[in-house]
Amino acid sequence: MSFNSNPGKVKASLAPSENPTIKYVKTSALIQQFTPYLFLLPGLILFLLFIVLPMVYSFRISLYDWNIIKPENSDFLGIENYSTVLTDPVFGRAVVNTFVYALVTVPAQMILGMGVAVLLNQKLPGQTLFRTLYYLPVITSWVIVTLLFEFLFNSQAGLVNYVLQSLGLIESPIRWLADEYLAMIPIHLLGIWKGLGWTAIVMLAGLQSIPESLYEAGAVDGANAFRRFWNITLPMMRPTLVFLFVVLTIGALNVYISGLLMTNGGDPLDRTHFVLTLMYEETFENFEFGRGAAISYLLTIIVFMISLVQLRMLNKEVDV
Amino acid sequence: MKSTKILLVVIVAILLAPTSMAQDTITVRYWHTMSDPETAKLDEMISMFEEANSGIFIDATRYAYSDFKEAILTSLAGGEAPDVARLDIAWVSEFAELGALAALDDAVENFNTLTEGFFPGPLKTVEWDGQHWGLPLNTNTQVLLYNASQFEEAGLDVPSTIDEFVEAACALSSSEEQYGYALGGTYFWAPAPLFFAQGGQITDEEITTATGYINGEASVQAFQTMLDMYNDGCISPNLLGGGIGTAEGHATGFYSMIIDGPWMVDIYANDYPDFEVNFALVPAGGESGTSSSVVGGEDVVLFADSENIDASLQWINFLMTEDYQLGMAEVGVIPVLKNLVGNETLPEYYDVFMTQLETAQARTPSPHWSEMDNAINNAFQYMLRGEKSVQEALDDAALEIDEMLAE
Repeated sequence: MSFNSNPGKVKASLAPSENPTIKYVKTSALIQQFTPYLFLLPGLILFLLFIVLPMVYSFRISLYDWNIIKPENSDFLGIENYSTVLTDPVFGRAVVNTFVYALVTVPAQMILGMGVAVLLNQKLPGQTLFRTLYYLPVITSWVIVTLLFEFLFNSQAGLVNYVLQSLGLIESPIRWLADEYLAMIPIHLLGIWKGLGWTAIVMLAGLQSIPESLYEAGAVDGANAFRRFWNITLPMMRPTLVFLFVVLTIGALNVYISGLLMTNGGDPLDRTHFVLTLMYEETFENFEFGRGAAISYLLTIIVFMISLVQLRMLNKEVDV
Repeated sequence: MKSTKILLVVIVAILLAPTSMAQDTITVRYWHTMSDPETAKLDEMISMFEEANSGIFIDATRYAYSDFKEAILTSLAGGEAPDVARLDIAWVSEFAELGALAALDDAVENFNTLTEGFFPGPLKTVEWDGQHWGLPLNTNTQVLLYNASQFEEAGLDVPSTIDEFVEAACALSSSEEQYGYALGGTYFWAPAPLFFAQGGQITDEEITTATGYINGEASVQAFQTMLDMYNDGCISPNLLGGGIGTAEGHATGFYSMIIDGPWMVDIYANDYPDFEVNFALVPAGGESGTSSSVVGGEDVVLFADSENIDASLQWINFLMTEDYQLGMAEVGVIPVLKNLVGNETLPEYYDVFMTQLETAQARTPSPHWSEMDNAINNAFQYMLRGEKSVQEALDDAALEIDEMLAE
């Protein structure tokens, strides 16, 4: 192929070259080694203080029947909090709900996002307007749009039931949020709708980084639109797609606000809990700080392992 | 040289000034979750207190109700808790068990004489483990709200017994999302008035067991009545979630009756100024045939780690005065002092609430209340969904609650 896709070469040309006119200040080898770390220090301190320390501290909490006021009076339980949580059917249900949410919303966002990105990438009038419109849900507050969806899916006065009834698709109103399975529909739809714009914009950036010449070459070789998408766009988009897949999955496993507002966490009967709504309930409603910390650690482990597997399986070099 | 000296003196004076001032003034940090009109009134009350108690300043901070528990917990964990706070009555024993609060029995002078002045229901909400962990600050209860024109049209009288209530609710229900009665959910606060009015009980007096109480005959009958109403289409399905809310449903004519609190007056005045609110006592039922309801409200508590105990107690004492209680009553906050019943400065609609309070009952003052509430909530859900019979559901709830109480 005629184009140059070797990024290494570009990098090399940008790297600072030895310039004999610059006078280097003479410093000892030790200080020279030490200096870069000095620059890292402010960030490192913040990282240790606000990320590592709370993580270690909350791990400690998860091993105790934690007393928030007099931590020194907390009873050490070992792994009891973890075994209590793991044997709790409500936690099992919450994990299932969270995984189903990820399995539905992540592929939906990626497929729809790709469609939107391809459309937004066309040189059409009003392109900027559409980009803004698709991104609007992303910057809107979760709380506001959740309440909005709650109104739409109101069983007695909601627009969704009204439309379905007007079209003759249903005879009696559907009690959306009163049912453990039906309640998931608005929550999933909200997740997809809210994340679509961001996914599409990231994909659009990926699309625009694909050199036009590839498509021209493809067209010359006689590839139709589908072949060009399948053999050029998708492989070139691979790093973007892997990034989105991992980030969207992490986001989906952390689903929280929509569940908390739409079903008060677990209504009905603790059957619609997500892992984080359950964590919130144990911690701030039931004062079971140790159990809450254990739940958040279990979620962290799950998310970490899934991300690792995803990256291992998918992050191969792009070869064209 | 001279100017340098003057400068030094000025600097020293500036440095010393705040410390010398801080020595003879005390600031009491007071946290609450009041509404706009209540907060405005509170500011007036604070000026009144500060004028009478020179040297004590009240630093009042307002929180959103939904963030309040979290905010207090965070402040406790960080050692930055307020001195005094206004807490939901259902939270007091929970915070007392955590060790966050100071018992007031010995701290307050003439405590026993003071407590005689309160309604018994609100006073019970500060009791835990044989001591008082706060004082009642304001109270409320739920009464029946009815749509007078709908009753007139149907030729019905406002129900005074449970049987009449069921009859009226069913007569006023039709298939078009029109219901005679609606309750806001299945959490205990919602069915509580009808539950207590029919003689329902959660635990024994000493809060040692729920068996024979929450699953006792009267409790089962109370839930059976509500379940039958629901199955007959006389209660709105909104209680299972995702329907028209009780307040707006009542004002817009979808629900002929709801059971709610005194704040509805202000809410309707703002949101539905043309809507006429009508109050009546919760219909009477059960063996005793008396009306009953559930006690809500707030208590004032002193935090155990407060460094300004004397000043804090002075503030708490002020909150118990007639001046404060009557002042706040102007904005719809019901006083907790018995001798203010029938006081002519109280708004007219207070009468029904004050009468209802005489028989209203407190939710179980236990540190496990949130979990107990959840157990009863779940039982109610099982019944409504037809997954368990009333007796089965309440038997399971009793076992669950007994386990909590045994802890």
